[in-house]
Amino acid sequence: MLCRVADSLFWMARYIERAENTVRLVDVTLQTLLESEHSPDEDQYKNWSPILASLGDQALFESLYEDKSSSNITDFLIFSRENPSSVLQCISAARENARMIRDQISSEMWEVINRTYLWLKKQDPQKVCVEADYEFFQHIKEFSQLFQGLVDTTFPHQIGFEFVKIGANLERADKTCRILDAKRYMLQDSPAKDDALDNAQWAAILRGCSAHEAYRRVYVADIEGDTVRDFLLRSRDFPRSVLYCLTRTQLALHAISKCPTTHFSNEAERRLGQLIAKLNYANPNDLNGKEAHKLIESIENDLGEIAVQINERYMFSEIVDPAEDLEQAQA
Amino acid sequence: MQIKYDTESFFDEMFDEKGQPRPHYKSFVDRFGELTESEFNRKREAVNLSFLQQGITFTVYGNQESTERIFPFDMVPRIIPDSEWKQMARGLEQRIQALNLFLKDVYHDQKIVKDGVVPAEILNSSKHYRKEIVGLDVPRDIYIHICGTDLIRDDSGQYLVLEDNGRCPSGVSYMIENRQAMKRAFPRFFPKAGVRSVLDYPEKLLTALQYIAPQGKASPTVAVLTPGVYNSAYFEHCFLARQMGVEIVEGRDLVVESDDCVYMRTTEGLKQVDVLYRRIDDDFIDPEVFRKDSLLGVPGLVRAYKKGNIGLANALGTGVADDKVMYCFVPDMIKYYLGEDAILPNVETWLPYRKEDLEYTLENADKLVIKAANEAGGYGMLIGPHATKKEIEEFKAKVKAAPREFIAQTPISLSRHPTYCDEGFGGRHIDLRPYIICGEKTQIIPGGLTRVALKKGSLVVNSSQGGGSKDTWVLYSDE
Repeated sequence: MLCRVADSLFWMARYIERAENTVRLVDVTLQTLLESEHSPDEDQYKNWSPILASLGDQALFESLYEDKSSSNITDFLIFSRENPSSVLQCISAARENARMIRDQISSEMWEVINRTYLWLKKQDPQKVCVEADYEFFQHIKEFSQLFQGLVDTTFPHQIGFEFVKIGANLERADKTCRILDAKRYMLQDSPAKDDALDNAQWAAILRGCSAHEAYRRVYVADIEGDTVRDFLLRSRDFPRSVLYCLTRTQLALHAISKCPTTHFSNEAERRLGQLIAKLNYANPNDLNGKEAHKLIESIENDLGEIAVQINERYMFSEIVDPAEDLEQAQA
Repeated sequence: MQIKYDTESFFDEMFDEKGQPRPHYKSFVDRFGELTESEFNRKREAVNLSFLQQGITFTVYGNQESTERIFPFDMVPRIIPDSEWKQMARGLEQRIQALNLFLKDVYHDQKIVKDGVVPAEILNSSKHYRKEIVGLDVPRDIYIHICGTDLIRDDSGQYLVLEDNGRCPSGVSYMIENRQAMKRAFPRFFPKAGVRSVLDYPEKLLTALQYIAPQGKASPTVAVLTPGVYNSAYFEHCFLARQMGVEIVEGRDLVVESDDCVYMRTTEGLKQVDVLYRRIDDDFIDPEVFRKDSLLGVPGLVRAYKKGNIGLANALGTGVADDKVMYCFVPDMIKYYLGEDAILPNVETWLPYRKEDLEYTLENADKLVIKAANEAGGYGMLIGPHATKKEIEEFKAKVKAAPREFIAQTPISLSRHPTYCDEGFGGRHIDLRPYIICGEKTQIIPGGLTRVALKKGSLVVNSSQGGGSKDTWVLYSDE
């Protein structure tokens, strides 16, 4: 397979996954706001800023919009052309990548991306942002799920398929980390610990990862920070947990290199194996309470390094993730 | 639905002078009559939507954002009867043979110049003559493997050659997609006697490409070389690669190693490429030899080509035959190389590099079509009868300054064809681009791309200037 094709498959999958995750986060936050007390815009921003902060987008948002209303944040995350990780930009980028390799992917895959792009461009941002348009969010989520289904059912399960899986799973692991990290930025209204609020925030995080129902099947008791964290980081069977995504990535990498998973044949495989071991054999103390965000941060860094190594081994091209570029520019 | 309008003084493809459908259109007109307007509109919208969703589009570069448009498709097919087609195909075959012999000659002994048939000054001043390949033997002596000759018909219905397009003719994907769309929308309209298929074009193309593999390699690796996703014909490049089952590559995917062979970068390492169907012009194909600023090409490609390690289709240097001044000499080439008279005549043309033609051109500029000799896509052209005094004067100045770079032609009132427009059916001017593949044998694809000028009265059929297209049916019989 051409290196450029591997690169485009990886990014096509990654951008679609990113769009889906952003939509889910926006949807969950808007739903949460509906149930909270009727509050002025200033208070609403408190609900949004942890998400913006964990995505690394806060500074950019504040530089683009004066009014920090929910509808402006929604516009920023969904439609903004200035925000390289907005849903519109992600779908455009996924489509550009798909267009470059449309001879390689199935026509079903191409057409669902193209159709969604054309549909998205016709949407009225005002309506979506002000009315918290449920159908709109649902449409994007279903698009991503349809796309993944089409990858499974219309795309030969060969090397290209594995690059799609790597793109999607690395992005998913990264987003799960970031959503978990958002808790750190969530403010407590009163200095005294408010268990009800704390639980509500953890519940929102679970929903942000589509994990609420799956979590409930395992933990019947109250929703608590340590168990939520353990579930989202280390569940072996929940498909959005970090460990699950990493294991799937490992399978894909070794399917490409044909090296057994007991060894490694390149730096990406070595780093990934190490990270999986780190999660598997983590000290419970590292997973709990204040230490946890250090672990999460180190996972995020490792994920970035693994993507760089995959690129160097298989794609030989400059890795350009507009979102990361921007973060660096602002740092 | 009834198709009815005033054919005026033009040659109408569907109706004769009495307003009756010509024999080869009769069965179509009968069946079309049974269709209601709402059925027709529904099918039309379905076809347009399917083109858009499949991304069968070309890119228009505009002020801010480049936009993708579908190439407007008209649902009334252009129909060509068998005997007319056979005559045309003979003419095209004769022409391509002469052009390939001419190209071999000008890059070797230049006998045609020595014998005084083509003036040396014209050859030497031809912009696209590539000195770099003089003396080089190209595989199987074929230069133009894929040709898209533009034909028009005058007011008597005579077919004339407008230009040859021996570099990278585009549009063949529309020929195939248009046919697919018609088969889906109007299965009942296809005549019982049958329409010749164009759908095997990709296989024929692949066979012709494999034919030029270095040293006759048995199962050569073929790839389509594209300028990339931002090229307006990118859809077509992908389409052809997918249909042939070969890789589509950009310049940055390829590398010429120290062994002067061409390789593509794959996830498993370098893999050798034997034949490139290149859709990049000579100028951009190798920055080591041609334009240094080209980011699209492959450094070293010409080196590999000269060593005989890579087949290129079309060959380098075919642009010299696309020079519109050289076009005037094609009937002479046919006579010179084949000893035959041209079956398909050229449009009457004046060459201002000759003193007497320059005088005629300047005196009659308001009655002539004047074209730049090395432009394409309907650019760099003056249509005298439709131009303002000022435009004519400006153009005359350009011609005077560089007479070699222009030709002048009598305006041809192109034939018209019923076309669905805003006000219902009307006659619109059309041309025809049949595709020719030269491999082990020469094959004229029975059909082609009929382009139609959608604007009333317009003679410009190019997609960049408001043209559309039609499916082109070549029948197995004459009715």
